[in-house]
Amino acid sequence: MPLVLSLLYQFGTGAAFFFLAALGLVVILGMMNIINLAHGELMMIGAYTATLTYHAGVPFWLSVILSFFVAAAFGAVLELLIVRRFYGRQLGALVVTWGVSLVLGQGTLLFFGPFLPSIGIPGGSFSYGDFSFSAYWLILVLISLLLILGLWWLYNRTPYGLQAKATMQNADMARSLGVRTPLIYTLTFSLGAGLAGLSGALLAPTVTIAPFMGQQFVAPAFITVVVGGSANVIAGAVASSALLAAVKTPIGMAFGAFSGTVALLLAALIIIRIMPNGISASLQKFFNRRAGGAMR
Amino acid sequence: MTKRKDTTPSPEAETETQGSAAEADVATSTGIPRRAFMTGTAATVTAATVLPNLRMARAAETGPVKIGHIEDLSGNLAVYGVQKYHAALLAVKEINEGKTLKGGPVGSGGLGSIAKFAAAPPVMGNGDKDLKYVSDGGAMTGAGMAFVEDDDVLVDSGDSGLLGREVELIAPDGQSNNNIWQQLTRRLILEDKVDCLVAGFTSAEREAIRPIVDQHKQLYIYTNQYEGGVADSNTFCTGAIVEQQVIPVVDYMIQKFGPRVYTIAADYNFGQLTAAWTKAFAPLVGGEIIEEEFVPLSVSDFTTSIARIQAAKPDWVFTLLVGSNQSNYYPQAAAAGLEYPMASTVNMAQGYEHRRFKPPSLNRMYNCVNYIEEIPTARNRAFVRRWYEMFPDDPYIGQMAQNTYFSIHLYAIAARLAGTTDQETVKKALESGLTIEAPEGAVFLEPSTHHCSHYIRLATADADHNVSFVREWPSIQPWWLQRVGVNLVKHKEYKQYIPDEDPFFKMFAK
Repeated sequence: MPLVLSLLYQFGTGAAFFFLAALGLVVILGMMNIINLAHGELMMIGAYTATLTYHAGVPFWLSVILSFFVAAAFGAVLELLIVRRFYGRQLGALVVTWGVSLVLGQGTLLFFGPFLPSIGIPGGSFSYGDFSFSAYWLILVLISLLLILGLWWLYNRTPYGLQAKATMQNADMARSLGVRTPLIYTLTFSLGAGLAGLSGALLAPTVTIAPFMGQQFVAPAFITVVVGGSANVIAGAVASSALLAAVKTPIGMAFGAFSGTVALLLAALIIIRIMPNGISASLQKFFNRRAGGAMR
Repeated sequence: MTKRKDTTPSPEAETETQGSAAEADVATSTGIPRRAFMTGTAATVTAATVLPNLRMARAAETGPVKIGHIEDLSGNLAVYGVQKYHAALLAVKEINEGKTLKGGPVGSGGLGSIAKFAAAPPVMGNGDKDLKYVSDGGAMTGAGMAFVEDDDVLVDSGDSGLLGREVELIAPDGQSNNNIWQQLTRRLILEDKVDCLVAGFTSAEREAIRPIVDQHKQLYIYTNQYEGGVADSNTFCTGAIVEQQVIPVVDYMIQKFGPRVYTIAADYNFGQLTAAWTKAFAPLVGGEIIEEEFVPLSVSDFTTSIARIQAAKPDWVFTLLVGSNQSNYYPQAAAAGLEYPMASTVNMAQGYEHRRFKPPSLNRMYNCVNYIEEIPTARNRAFVRRWYEMFPDDPYIGQMAQNTYFSIHLYAIAARLAGTTDQETVKKALESGLTIEAPEGAVFLEPSTHHCSHYIRLATADADHNVSFVREWPSIQPWWLQRVGVNLVKHKEYKQYIPDEDPFFKMFAK
C-alpha cells in the first residue's frame, strides 16, 4: 500500500513536472507554431525574478505572480522587436530564438554570476510507511490542474480566446473580420512567455538557480508538446504529460533513473511514429468518429 | 665561405638581439627578420638550414612564457570554470610579481610536523652498558608542532616572472562543449605554442583532449579531482583521486553509520568509474553496495530516485552527482524528508552546495577533500585574503580552484629547476620529487605516476551548514597506479587504467 501511494505520488509529480516545463511552449509552439528555443530562458527569467524578489523580502506566492508579469512583459518586448519578423518562417524563428537564448544565458552569467542563493522549498514533508512525500510537490500538482482549467477557460470562454484561435487558424480571414491580429500575436506570445516565467518560478525552489538552468526544461517541454500534438494543444499537453509520467515512473522505480529516461524517450519515439500528429489529433479523430457514428 | 662568415652574427650578438627582442612582440621580432635574412643569404645551403634551427631554438626561450588555460567560462559547468580561471589569474599575477609558493625537490613531507619534544634527551640503556633499548629517561616537556606552520607560504622567488620572462595566460572559453575543447587545444598547441597547458574539468573533457596532447607531446596539467588511473607521460594530474577521497570517507562512514551503501552517481565516465571504485573498495573496509543508480546529466527531477532510496533503506547514501541540474537532488531530497547521512567526493568543496542551498539540505554530508575554503590554517587564511583582494565579488574558492593555483606555481618551480621552458626538460624536472606548499598543506608530486599526494580532510556540514573537520590525514599517497606497476619515468604510457584491470579487488568482492 505505501508503495502504491508512492508510485501515485511519483506519477503525479512527474506529470506535473512535464506539464509545467511545457506550459509556456504549449502556447508558443502549440498554438503559434513558433519553435521557441528561448523557452528555457523565459523560464529562467521567471525563476530569477522569483528568487530576487523573494530574497528582497516579497512573500513567495506574490513573487511567483510577479514573475508571470515580468516574463510576460519581456515576451511582449521580444515579440515586438524580433519574433514578429519571423512569422511563417519557422526555421528563421528557430535560429533567432536560439540566438536570443544564448544572449540571455550568457548575459545572466555576466550580470548575476554563476548562481543565486536558492529559495527553500516551502511546506514540509510527511511520511507513510517507508516513503515520505513533499507537500510542495503536491501543491504543484494541484496548481497544474488549476492552470489546465484556467487555460481551457481562457481559450474557450473568452473573446480573446476566440479571436486568438481565429487568428492562428486563418490570420487574413480574422483580420478581414475586424480582429486586430498584430495585437493578438503580441498578446499570445506574451501569454506564453508569462506562463513559462510562471512555471519557472514555481519550479525554482526545486532546482538550482543558475543562468543556464532553463536548458534542463527544454527537452522535456518539446517532447511533451510534440507528443501532445497541436490539434488541441491543452488536452494534448495534459495527455502526453500523464502518459510520459506513466511510462517513466514505474520503469524508473524498478530499474533506476537511467532506464526511466530511456523508456521515456522510447515511448515518445513510438507515439510520434504511430500518431504523427500527436495524441490530441488521434483523440480528436476518435471522438469525431464516435460523434459521427451517433449521428448516423 | 667568407661570405657566410660575414653574414652569420656571432653568438654574443645573437643573444643580445634576442634579449632586446624579448621586450617587443615575439612573433614579429623573430619571424620577420629571419625571413628577410634568409632571402638575403639563401646562396649558401648551410646558412639556410643551420641558422633557422638555431634561431628557432632560441625563439622558444624569449618573449613571454605562455601558459594555455582552458576552462568553461560559460554553460552548465561555468560555476567551476570561472573559479579555476580566477585561480590561474592569481597565480600568474603572483609569479609576475616575483612571488612563489614554497617548495622544491625535497620529497614527500613538507613544512611542519607534530612531534614530542624533550627538555633532556632520553638515556640509552638501563644505567649499565646494555644499550639494547631506550629507557624512559629524559624529561618530556610536551607535544606539539615541532615546526610552527608558517603564516604564509608565499615567498619571494628571486626571479622576475619566470626565468626573467613575463608569464602570459592564454585562457579561451571551453563553453562546456567537448568539441570546442578539442578545437581550442589544437589552437593553443599549434598556433599559440604554449609552454604548458593547464585545463580540464570533467573527465569527458580530459579524455577528449588527451589524444591531441599526446600527439604533440604537450606538457599538460589536469588539475581536477577525478576517478584516477590516468598513466600518461605528458599529463600531470594534480587533483585528488579515488584512493585519497573515496577510501577514507567510505571507511569513516561504514564505521560511523553502517555497512549498507546506496550509490547514486552521474552517468558518465567520472560517475561510472568512481562508483566502480567504491564497489571494489567497499568490501576491503567491511561495506556493501546494496544498490547503484546512474543518473543522466540531463535529469533534474529526482522524485523517483528518492523513493528508490527509501525503498532500499541504506545506512547512508553515496552521492556522486555532477553539474547544476543534478545538484537539485539535495533540496528535493531534503523537501521529501530524506534524512540519510550522505557522503561524496565532489559536492561542497566543488560547487559550494552548502552555501547555495537552504539548510538543512546538506545536513550530515561528509566529504574527503584536499581543499575547501573553510580550512582554518594560517596559510589558507592568507590565501583566501589574497584571493578576495583580487576578486572581491567571487562567491567561493573551490577545491579545483586551489589545485589550479598551486599547479601553476608548481610549473614555475619546475621550470626554474630546469632552467628552461623546453617542455621535455620541464617534464623531467616535474619528475624530480617536487613538493609544493599549497594552501591545503604540503603536496608532493609523485614522479613515477605523475599524481600528487594530498593533505586530506574529512569535512562535514551540520544542520545549519556550518563546516567542520572530523578527521585529517596530512599526507595520503596516490598508490594504486604504483600497485599496478606504472612507472612513467622508465616506461612511457598513454592510457587510463580502470579497477577491473586489477585482480586485487576481485579477492575481496562479495
